[in-house]
Amino acid sequence: MATKSNYGWLQGRTVRKGGHASSNSHTRSSTPQVQSTSTTIFGGGIKDPSGRTSEYFSMDDQCPVCKSDRYLNPKLRLLVSSCYHKMCESCIDRLFTLGPASCPNCDKILRKLAFSPQTFEDLGVEKEVAVRRRIAKEFNKRLEDFDDLRSYNDYLEEVEDIAFNLINNIDIPATEERIAAYKAANAALTSLNLQREEAEALALKEQEDLERREREARAAQLAQQEQQEREERQREERELIDKLETSQKDAHKIVAKSRIAAAKRSSARAASSSANSSLLGMSFGMDYAKLLKTRTTKVNNVPDEPHVPFLDDYYAYDDLYTVRAEGYDDIISEAVRRDREGIMRAGGYKVEEAWNRALLTAVAGLDAAPLSGLDEPNSLGDVDVVMESV
Amino acid sequence: MDAVERENQDRQKRWAKEQKVGEGAYAVVYRGREFSTGRRVAIKKIKVGQFKDGLDMSAIREVKYLRELKHQNVIELLDVFSNKTNLNLVLEFLDSDLEMIIKDRSLVFLPADIKSWMAMTFRGLEFCHRNFILHRDLKPNNLLIASDGQLKIADFGLARDFADPGFKMTCQVITRWYRPPELLFGSRYYSSAVDIWSLGCIFAELMLRTPYLAGESDMDQLKTIFRALGTPTEQEWPGHTKLPDYVPVGQFPKTPLRDLFTAASADTLNLLSKCLLYEPRKRLSASEALQHPYFFAIPHPTHPSKLPKCTTQMAPRPLGEVDGNVDMVGSGPGVKAAAPNKGRLKRKITSPLDDPKTRSIARKLDFTKHVKSP
Repeated sequence: MATKSNYGWLQGRTVRKGGHASSNSHTRSSTPQVQSTSTTIFGGGIKDPSGRTSEYFSMDDQCPVCKSDRYLNPKLRLLVSSCYHKMCESCIDRLFTLGPASCPNCDKILRKLAFSPQTFEDLGVEKEVAVRRRIAKEFNKRLEDFDDLRSYNDYLEEVEDIAFNLINNIDIPATEERIAAYKAANAALTSLNLQREEAEALALKEQEDLERREREARAAQLAQQEQQEREERQREERELIDKLETSQKDAHKIVAKSRIAAAKRSSARAASSSANSSLLGMSFGMDYAKLLKTRTTKVNNVPDEPHVPFLDDYYAYDDLYTVRAEGYDDIISEAVRRDREGIMRAGGYKVEEAWNRALLTAVAGLDAAPLSGLDEPNSLGDVDVVMESV
Repeated sequence: MDAVERENQDRQKRWAKEQKVGEGAYAVVYRGREFSTGRRVAIKKIKVGQFKDGLDMSAIREVKYLRELKHQNVIELLDVFSNKTNLNLVLEFLDSDLEMIIKDRSLVFLPADIKSWMAMTFRGLEFCHRNFILHRDLKPNNLLIASDGQLKIADFGLARDFADPGFKMTCQVITRWYRPPELLFGSRYYSSAVDIWSLGCIFAELMLRTPYLAGESDMDQLKTIFRALGTPTEQEWPGHTKLPDYVPVGQFPKTPLRDLFTAASADTLNLLSKCLLYEPRKRLSASEALQHPYFFAIPHPTHPSKLPKCTTQMAPRPLGEVDGNVDMVGSGPGVKAAAPNKGRLKRKITSPLDDPKTRSIARKLDFTKHVKSP
C-alpha cells in the first residue's frame, strides 16, 4: 500500500478537475493521462487519502510569465512553485533546465523539481494545506502524552502559532528553528505516535473489511434463496402442465390443488427465511441496541407477541342476528332514506349503524345470567358490571 | 345533612388529594391516592360556581360516557363525587401522552413501536364505537400513556353517542389538524368515520414526527389536506359538493403517499390511505382496521412495556378536557374546536385561539416539493 501511495503520481493517476466537462471527460477514464508537454514528471502537490492528486485547471488559465493562455495553447499546464507562484510547463523548462534560477515573481531561488501540480483554486489554501500536513507529521502528540489538559492546550496553541507563522511568512527562520528544536527533543515520541496511528488505521480497515464481507455474505444468501424459489416455481409450472396433459381429472381441480401446494411451500419458505434473517440481524441488532439507549434500560425480555385483533369475543353477537342487507322500512330512518341529494351520505352518516344498534340492544341481554346478590345497591359501578357481563 | 350529601362525603373519604399538577380555565387537576389501596389517581376538580347555567357541557359528557366505558385502552373513571361548589372526577393516573413522546427528539421509534401504539389506539376506539360512542377529539395529546406502556384514550369532553337517523350533530368538533374534510365542509350528519380520519393523521404523525396536516385556519386546513392527498373528485366522494359549507378550494394533483413516507412498508401505506379516504363511508372502520394485514405482518407490535418512554417529566398539561373551548396554556397542537353550546349551533368563523402567539405550529410540511418531476 505504501509504495502505491507514494508512486501513484508516477503511474499517471493524476485526475484533472474543473474546466469543461467535454474537454476533461476523457481524463476520468480508468487510466487518465495528464497532458504534459514537459519531459519532467512533476510530483508533490496535495494528495488525497488514496494517494492521488486531483489537479485544478480552468478555461481562464493564463501563464503569468509568458502570458500564453488556454485559448492559444490547449495543452497549457500550470504548476506551482515552492514560493506559491504559478507558471506554465514551458516556462519552467525554459527557465530552470540549466539549474536553479530565481523566480520571475519574487526572486527566490527555485529548482525545477520543486514545482508541483495545483489542487486548489486558491493558492492560499494550497499553501495552508501543505504547511498543515507538514506540521501534523511532526507535531503528533496526543492528550494522553500530557499530564493535564492545560499543558495539552498550551502545546496545541504553540502548534497553531507555528502553522500561522509559516502560512503568513512571519519570522520564518525563527519558526524553522523552533520546529527543529522540537524535532530534536521529541524524536522518539513522534515516531511512537506515528506507529500508533498506523496501527489504528489498520484496525479500522480490518473492521471495514469485516463489515463488507458480512454484507456480501448476506447478499449472496438472498440471491441464492431467490434462485431456489425461481427454480421451484418453474418446476411446479412444468409439473402442472404435465399433469394437465396426462391426467383425466377435472382441470380446475388440478389447478386448485397445485395452488394450495404452492401456497403451503411459500409460507414455509417465508417462515424459514424470517428465522434466517433474525439470525443474520444479530450482530446488526447489537449496534442498534446501542443507538436506542433511551429505551428502558433494565433488561426486558418480554417477547413481542403477534397481533390479536380483539381481546374479547364481543363479535360473537354476530351469531344472534344479522342486519338485513336491503335495510329496514322504519319511521325513524325515513329521513335518511329520503335524503335524495345524498347530503347525509356524503357526510358519512351510516344508517346501518343505527339499525345495528337497535338490533344489538334488543338481543344484547338475552343470554346474560341475571345479576345475583346486588349487595351494592347504591353503586354507580353497576353500569360497569353490566357492560362487562355483556 | 341529607342523604345525597352524606353519600358524597363518604365517597370523598375514599380518595386523598395530594398535590396540584395542572390548572385549566374550568378545572384543576390534583394528584391523589386511594386510601385503601394506595393506588395513584388523578382528581379533576371542576369549578361549578363559574357557570351561570350550571355545569359545563364537556364535564357532563365526560362523566356520561366514561361511566360506561371500561377497557384497557380507555382511561378509567374511578369515581365521581361533588360538594357544594364543585364536581370531582377521579381518573386513572397516567404519566405522559403521545404528543410528548412524539416531540421528544431523544427517542427513536421503530416501525414495531408505531404498530403497537396504533393497535392500542384502534382497540380503544373500537371499544368506544362498539358502544356507539364517537370520541370526536382524537389527537396525540389525548392519547395518554400509562407507566406500563399501555395507551389510553382520554378526554371525552366532546364525545357523544351515535346520532339517531335524521338528527343533526355539530360540525365544530375535533382539533383542526385532525378534523376530517366532511366536518370542514360543515356536514351535520356523520359517523364513526370522523374518528378514523383523526387516527390516520396520528398514524402519519407517528411516522413523520411532525403534524401531518397542519392547517392554520379552517380554510387553510382544507387546502392543506387537498395539497397532501389531492382534491377529491365527485367520483371519489359522491355528493361532497352539496355539503352545507362546501367551497371550492382549488385543484391539487394527487401525489403518492410513498413520496412523503419513503421508508414505510406497503401494508403501512395501505392502512394509512384507507384511514384517509375522502368518502367517509368507505373509510375503514376500527374493527376492520384491527384486522388489516399491517398489524399481522412482521415485525410484531412491540410489547407495551418495551415502548419508548418519555425522559422528561410531564409538565402540567393544559386541561383540554374540561375547558372545551380554549387551551389556556396553548402548548397543544393547534386549536381545539369550539365546544358545541346548546341553542348556539351557528358556525363560528374564527375560534378565540386564532391568535398567532398561542398557536405553535411546529413545522409545516411542504407537500409541493414532493411532486415528482416528470
